[in-house]
Amino acid sequence: MSIVRKLTTELLPFAVALAIWQALSTAGIWPKVLFPSPLEVAQAFATDLASGVLMLNLSVSLRSLLLGFALGCAIAVPLGYLMGLNRASRDFFDPLVNLLQAIPGLAWIPFAILWFGLGQGAVTFIIVMSVFFPVLHNLLTGIRMVQPVLIEAVQTLGAGRFSVIRHVIFPATLPNLMTGIRLGIAFGFRSLVGGEMIASTDGLGYAIFNAQQYFQSARIVVGMLTIGIVWLAMDRLVLRPIEQRTTMRWGLVREGLEKS
Amino acid sequence: MTDLLVASAVSKTYFDTVANDNVVALDGISLSIAAHQFVSVIGPSGCGKSTFLRLVAGLDRPTAGEITVSGRKVTGPGADRGMVFQEYALLPWKTTAANIEFGPRLKGLPAAERAAITKRFVELVGLKGFENKYPHQLSGGMRQRAAVARVLANNPTMLLMDEPFAAVDAMTRQHLQEELTAITAHERTTVLFITHAIEEAVFLSDRVIALSGRPGRIVADLAIDLPRPRRWDAMANDARFAAYRDELTRCIHGKS
Repeated sequence: MSIVRKLTTELLPFAVALAIWQALSTAGIWPKVLFPSPLEVAQAFATDLASGVLMLNLSVSLRSLLLGFALGCAIAVPLGYLMGLNRASRDFFDPLVNLLQAIPGLAWIPFAILWFGLGQGAVTFIIVMSVFFPVLHNLLTGIRMVQPVLIEAVQTLGAGRFSVIRHVIFPATLPNLMTGIRLGIAFGFRSLVGGEMIASTDGLGYAIFNAQQYFQSARIVVGMLTIGIVWLAMDRLVLRPIEQRTTMRWGLVREGLEKS
Repeated sequence: MTDLLVASAVSKTYFDTVANDNVVALDGISLSIAAHQFVSVIGPSGCGKSTFLRLVAGLDRPTAGEITVSGRKVTGPGADRGMVFQEYALLPWKTTAANIEFGPRLKGLPAAERAAITKRFVELVGLKGFENKYPHQLSGGMRQRAAVARVLANNPTMLLMDEPFAAVDAMTRQHLQEELTAITAHERTTVLFITHAIEEAVFLSDRVIALSGRPGRIVADLAIDLPRPRRWDAMANDARFAAYRDELTRCIHGKS
């Protein structure tokens, strides 16, 4: 696929969405404060970028998100392998995990504020609670899906328990782990914004909430779009390259069902 | 000549969760296999032939009796009994070369030696040029070649094969069978080969053991005295080949 064609494929959906947005705002069906135009949003974006407010909020939010994500994974991933590979651990932790799993990350806000006070500490805690479960759940599913014949094959080649885990279990669970990480980050974003609206005085979530109080609807959209762009960048610059080099290359996951 | 493998009154009963009942898969199997022999075990579906192979591999434990390989009792899987599975069982995240190199790598052989072994077995099974392909990029026949090379590169005492050619097409299967006889004769590998195809067993083997339907018991134990190297075009008109085939067919199906 040529560069031009690739770029077109990539940008077309955004161009169409932008055109519809512009058309709707030009039609003037709703008051501007309820439905800001693309131009207003672009102006607000430029203003917030120039004043440094946007970068400040973004850096605060990203720090909470990445720290919360890292801590959540640091607990969920080892626990997942422990539960997946050890019957006794599974029997012990599974009921507890299931009990806590249905509780949304945001339900932890009251305790987060009591324990950590208002601020990014509370927000980070909520993100940890949100990232933890999708990562753990998907990892456990991945371990359950490992083909027994692959384990048996390497055992007859002389692999002990450690080699089985390293050469079979780890790579075999990567597709599910990546799904868990994707969902974990997505859940993390939800909690980030929700948490900052209630439990913080800075960050993108707070900025969105604050803009609403002053009827600055364009700035609301700036905050929302920034979150979208950050996620898109993470996906394109980090997650997808990892997948292309691993699970896709190994033929475990494909881009789509069509023939390449 | 001492026997490499000795099975003494081996039985295997397992619990069938669907039927909710105990199933006797093998009932008192005793047999010995000499080194450097190609031995096939044949029998109808459910006769326990694959169960027997898994017991030899150490992937399952016998309910009664015991199996020894090189005089040591089998208590678990080990590199001395390499197994080739019907579904190839190559590691999807390793290239052909890395799959073949896997056993020597586990043994901790130095890189130069591993590379030499890998090169030799890649060439032996005709996969030169495909060293850096991943299993999903290979055909079924090539995958099974790689799986055979992976086990042979690990230099096992015995090669265990569980219906390895059942999933490849008929033409490829004949090629693979001819290659296997040539390779194992050249490497002097001891092979225990499981199949339900009588002709395949006769073509490949020095000895064919036939099991009855469930529970599996030995109903025939036949030495196959055909010249090597063996080729299918020569076998087609060979009266002895036909005689062995017919005798085994009678033993398995023709009791009534």
